[in-house]
Amino acid sequence: MSEDLVADLRREVENCINCGFCESVCPTYAASGYTMSKGARGRVDLGKSLLMDLVENGKTTMDLSDSFYSCLDCFACVQVCPAGVNAGKVSHISREIIVTQKYTEKDYRKDTANMIVSTTRRYHDPLGLNRKISGWAAGLNFSESSTSLLYTGNMYQIMPYSKKLSEMSMRMGSRATSILGKAISRNPSLIKAAGIFYSKEMAMKMNSYLRYIADLLQEAGVEFRYMGDHEPYPGTFLYDLGYEEDFREYANEVAGMFREMGIKEIITVDPHTYDLLKNQYPVYVKNFDFRVTHYLDYMKKLKFRKVQEQVTMHEACHFSLRDDPYNVPVDLVRSFSNLVLPSRSGKRTMCCGGPNEMIYPGLSQKISGERIRNLKATGSDRIITACPICYANLSSEKSVVDISQFLHENIVKQV
Amino acid sequence: MLTISLTGKTGKNLLLEGLSIPDKMDFAGELKKISGKNVYTSKEDMIPYLNDASYFEGLLPLAVVVPADTQEVSKIMKLCYDNNVSVTVRGGGSSLTGSSILSETGIVMSLARFDKIEEISPGDNLAVVQPGVRLDALNEDLARSGYFYPPDPASSMAATVGGSISTNAGGLRASLYGTTKNWILGLDVVLADGNIVKLGGRTLKRSSGYDLTALMVGSEGTLGIITRAYLKIWPLPEEKGRVSAYFSEIEKVGQSISEIKKIGIMPMIAEFLDRITMDSLESTTALKFPKEARYLLIMDVTSTAESIDIVLERVYRKISELNPISISKTRDPKVMDEMYAARKGAYSSLLKQREASTQKVVIGDVVVPASKLPEALKSIEKKGHDHGLKVALFGHIGDGNIHCNIYADVAKQNVMREVDAFQMEIGEIAVNLGGSVSAEHGIGIEKRELLSREFMMRNSEYTIEMMKQIKKIMDPKGILNRGKIFE
Repeated sequence: MSEDLVADLRREVENCINCGFCESVCPTYAASGYTMSKGARGRVDLGKSLLMDLVENGKTTMDLSDSFYSCLDCFACVQVCPAGVNAGKVSHISREIIVTQKYTEKDYRKDTANMIVSTTRRYHDPLGLNRKISGWAAGLNFSESSTSLLYTGNMYQIMPYSKKLSEMSMRMGSRATSILGKAISRNPSLIKAAGIFYSKEMAMKMNSYLRYIADLLQEAGVEFRYMGDHEPYPGTFLYDLGYEEDFREYANEVAGMFREMGIKEIITVDPHTYDLLKNQYPVYVKNFDFRVTHYLDYMKKLKFRKVQEQVTMHEACHFSLRDDPYNVPVDLVRSFSNLVLPSRSGKRTMCCGGPNEMIYPGLSQKISGERIRNLKATGSDRIITACPICYANLSSEKSVVDISQFLHENIVKQV
Repeated sequence: MLTISLTGKTGKNLLLEGLSIPDKMDFAGELKKISGKNVYTSKEDMIPYLNDASYFEGLLPLAVVVPADTQEVSKIMKLCYDNNVSVTVRGGGSSLTGSSILSETGIVMSLARFDKIEEISPGDNLAVVQPGVRLDALNEDLARSGYFYPPDPASSMAATVGGSISTNAGGLRASLYGTTKNWILGLDVVLADGNIVKLGGRTLKRSSGYDLTALMVGSEGTLGIITRAYLKIWPLPEEKGRVSAYFSEIEKVGQSISEIKKIGIMPMIAEFLDRITMDSLESTTALKFPKEARYLLIMDVTSTAESIDIVLERVYRKISELNPISISKTRDPKVMDEMYAARKGAYSSLLKQREASTQKVVIGDVVVPASKLPEALKSIEKKGHDHGLKVALFGHIGDGNIHCNIYADVAKQNVMREVDAFQMEIGEIAVNLGGSVSAEHGIGIEKRELLSREFMMRNSEYTIEMMKQIKKIMDPKGILNRGKIFE
């Protein structure tokens, strides 16, 4: 293990004072039935033990994978920590330590995680969907000479499949899922079979949201290109699951594709890709000099009619709980509607549980149920989200809509 | 006799002997028959239960159990009682004296799943709450009805109803509303042998024999396990206002509270902070304090919309008579909330000023009658200098509660000797002035010696003996939170 990882872990855990504030806002703590090892404070405590093991014995015999892989990386913990400790970062560093295998007695990686990594590396998306990702754009015209790229990162397109897979995984149980994951990691082409399982209803919704986004941008006078079937997934899972070297190589491949096209600006459409490109790509990709924007940045050019409808908003963690929060979505919705935020909003927003969907679907479902209750307590007619993962994970509640639809409904078209 | 061998967090082998568990009996297996998957026995799952917010580290438990209801707690207690296994109950794990960690072999019982607010009844001034509900969550719910539950320890985001009852927690608002004991109407309790008893109840008054509800408050999980609490709730104050004043002499800060009380005004909050604390807050918040100020006094008063300005003006004038360096008043909720949050986070801010990760901030917690504050504060400050310790002072002076925050490297024995000596001396100062060694943090592991000293100094050692006799009657095998309160 690199000295950097040990130093990073030490830096992150050493200031913890064990006050327990993080635990009170950690979604996985409550959803796990209050298991401390699956809560923010417990993860930091385990991070301290891991550090001690590595310093004293060079290796750990502890299997900490469930504790660190079940972390959502939502960063709700650091918002309330008086000592500035980020249990999400502790989990991230610890996952990297698990992935290296050099300092663990056994291979504690998750089979499902290995599967996702191998399929992403082979197909440039975690489910091998290549030819299915651009269907939403049928008939749309893009500006092929533009240096601005509309980059969906496949996120909206993946949701109908991942949702179905998560449901299947719930039914199969963790053991069967693990066996399947192992088989697919050895033979990534098996993932192609997943392509036949998807939610048709969600696929139609997602296609429609992407078309709204393209339309809104064009309405705002933005010229942009789209990569179509060749558009690669940004590698979010590789980064999140701790496969640092795989992510480094993959991110450089993706950036290389942008460079070959002469792209200057990357217009993202979801919080995960926006955060990854804005905050991680510059760390892992040499000379990453692209301008990363979000399509909502351009919405101030448009006018929206005032609506009386009371709406609430589920703010995405990757927008609201990062060092440099992106508040454009909530400001935009507030500007023309009767917005009532839930008790957990802004710096206290609560994760939808989506990031756990593939590996811990049961945990994910409990968290989304809790979040839906919190949002519905506002008594609003509709719940607006600006993230496809959040949308998919909250979709059991029928009043959830993507922000693109809400904007599109209320746009005042320029004559 | 079964000898249980466990591997501790540090990799050292912990030989835990002395249990009378029948040979070959799988104790965790028996627990699982009661609580199923909510029993944890792996090292990875149990390590997080080694610590609370104190600087102590506990033993690795035999098992951690997270029961869901009173009947389940009762069954677990019966099993533990029959097998003489010690039980340490855990709420939010925010104890500053080590009361929620295991100091002798046994199991940890987390009451986190007792997380329901069962009833809010403003007409009866009543909330019926399970012990695992966190104080901030409770107040968020109560605020919707225009009510609140006044005890507000600085740890209220993490602290639970059950845990705060067990330490008789106070907090900033105790100046006006008193500590937790004033707000507990009744409790459902599971005793050491598994029997379930109901103490007190839903009414604001009750004079029916010994007040066993009061006995449970501050008992730190040594007498029984609280599984339901009947809390008194109160309407939120109509209006609030604040006077802030900076002083260069600590005695004047101490004098201020008596002067205000003499004119018949009971502040809701009366807090003070010293220069070290102000400096730490400047580095962690957007707040700025005058450079020449050595002490800050904050006094909040409540009243009706019609009279708040009059009350505030009276406080302002009275404090002005003490010639502060500067003084101001405000009714701006935003300004008041910002400072309130900063004061609640003062301990955490001090922690950020540590010079090394091995350094901790040991927080002292003594109390004296408000009239003795000038003398107490001056003596305590001098003692800190005498011991060569870096000590930050702040506290709830409205009720005479002083927190001495001592920067100390807990790994260095010579440093800890000075800290222990200082703690003992400030405890003695408090007792000599008619106060106590513990105001709101309880005794836990940390203050067992101090507790003995307090009653010896008051020439009432028999008080401790009475406590021990009560403990013996309620927990004859001594299985509830072994090693806490008494030496």
